[in-house]
Amino acid sequence: MTAPAAFPHPPYRYCVYGTTISSEIPLALPEQGEGRLARVELRVAPASHFADAIRNVPFERPVEDWNHRASLPDGSSYLRWDGIGEFLTSADGCHIWCRQFEDAPFESFQVYMLGQALAVVLVKRGFEPLHATAAVVDGRAIVFLGHSGFGKSSLAACFLAAGHRLLTDDLLILHESAGRILAYPGPPRIKLFPKVAGELLGHIASGVPMNPGARKLILPVHARRNQAHPVALGAMYSLAAPYDARRPQSVRIESLSPREAFLEFVAHTFNDRIVNMRRLERQFTMAARLASVATVKKLSYPRVLDRLPDVRAAVLSDLDRIDLPVAACAGPIVAWS
Amino acid sequence: MPVSFSLSQRISIAPDVLHRQVGDEAVLLNLKTELYFGLDQVGARMWDVLNEAFSIQAAYETLLQEYDVPPGQLREDLDELLEGLVALGLVQLGEIGQGPSVDQPTE
Repeated sequence: MTAPAAFPHPPYRYCVYGTTISSEIPLALPEQGEGRLARVELRVAPASHFADAIRNVPFERPVEDWNHRASLPDGSSYLRWDGIGEFLTSADGCHIWCRQFEDAPFESFQVYMLGQALAVVLVKRGFEPLHATAAVVDGRAIVFLGHSGFGKSSLAACFLAAGHRLLTDDLLILHESAGRILAYPGPPRIKLFPKVAGELLGHIASGVPMNPGARKLILPVHARRNQAHPVALGAMYSLAAPYDARRPQSVRIESLSPREAFLEFVAHTFNDRIVNMRRLERQFTMAARLASVATVKKLSYPRVLDRLPDVRAAVLSDLDRIDLPVAACAGPIVAWS
Repeated sequence: MPVSFSLSQRISIAPDVLHRQVGDEAVLLNLKTELYFGLDQVGARMWDVLNEAFSIQAAYETLLQEYDVPPGQLREDLDELLEGLVALGLVQLGEIGQGPSVDQPTE
């Protein structure tokens, strides 16, 4: 698939999720060194390019009625969010073509591009992104696994409020290299409800709604509060469902067996709509490897904003009891990417 | 009441089934059905022994030596596990010296 190219070589270069993005358009990312895991080219394409690509191609059954997806015969993927923009990702995961819709805020467009569209590309490139948010404590990634609405970002914001850095919000790339599992930084922004942002971070003025129907805001994270380089994986906490009828009135942290941890990893793979035998095998390998070497716990707590500092304190206290480093594993290197 | 399997049979892991030891436990994935399974510590050990043994009889004898369990109880537990593994397409049963007798791969 080809598209008109304004520049033979995209002039902007960024690094996010360990991936170098060569872009035709400037992005709200710090310009930094090479991402060593992958290289992706981002180009802008006109409406006709997308219309031609999806002509006579059936759309997948939508999960949200404003999100449209299609798999094209050549293996590329089409993604569209009404009111935001549309994207085409190449079959080899090396290219993204994008178009921002009129009136869509660039921040919103970029969130979907660097989240959902890039996740499709990363999966095509053989990575297994996790649905997780991570903060940095004592130089290690403390990961919160959770589905949408489970409170990952709010809990991470509470860590930010206490001076810890944000590693990534919503999408986490882990990669095993030289016997260590490294966690890679995402874009320097966090998505929060206005009340959470106001109470924990003290500012919402710079926030832009994620999409026309959303209350959540996209908030930039200042460089001094953002982790720019990969860090070793510390502990991982899977957040219990907020609507769980058995939810506790106090903070509870329970260890998970490797088998239970395995299921948490499988349940929190990002972009789980892409299912094929090769990916299932890869997910299985990744989850089994992580379950064997990582410390994974279940974290339950009441979803009350002013209790979040208690949750943070419980996690920090739990970290003191964990025999880190968990990321330094003696086994053979198993790259699942 | 679980089905009673012939001790002279042997099992083999079905094609399209992945399995990994995680800690003392095990996880399995049937790529055909796209379903994941977990085995606790005892189940994982039974899985290992069953897959390594020459026959179900040999596996039974190994497990009887390892665990402090009445023979009848072990037989019942083994049958229950085997029934589940076969029903879920995770293993195939065959006679000793023969290939698997059920769900043979077509290619």
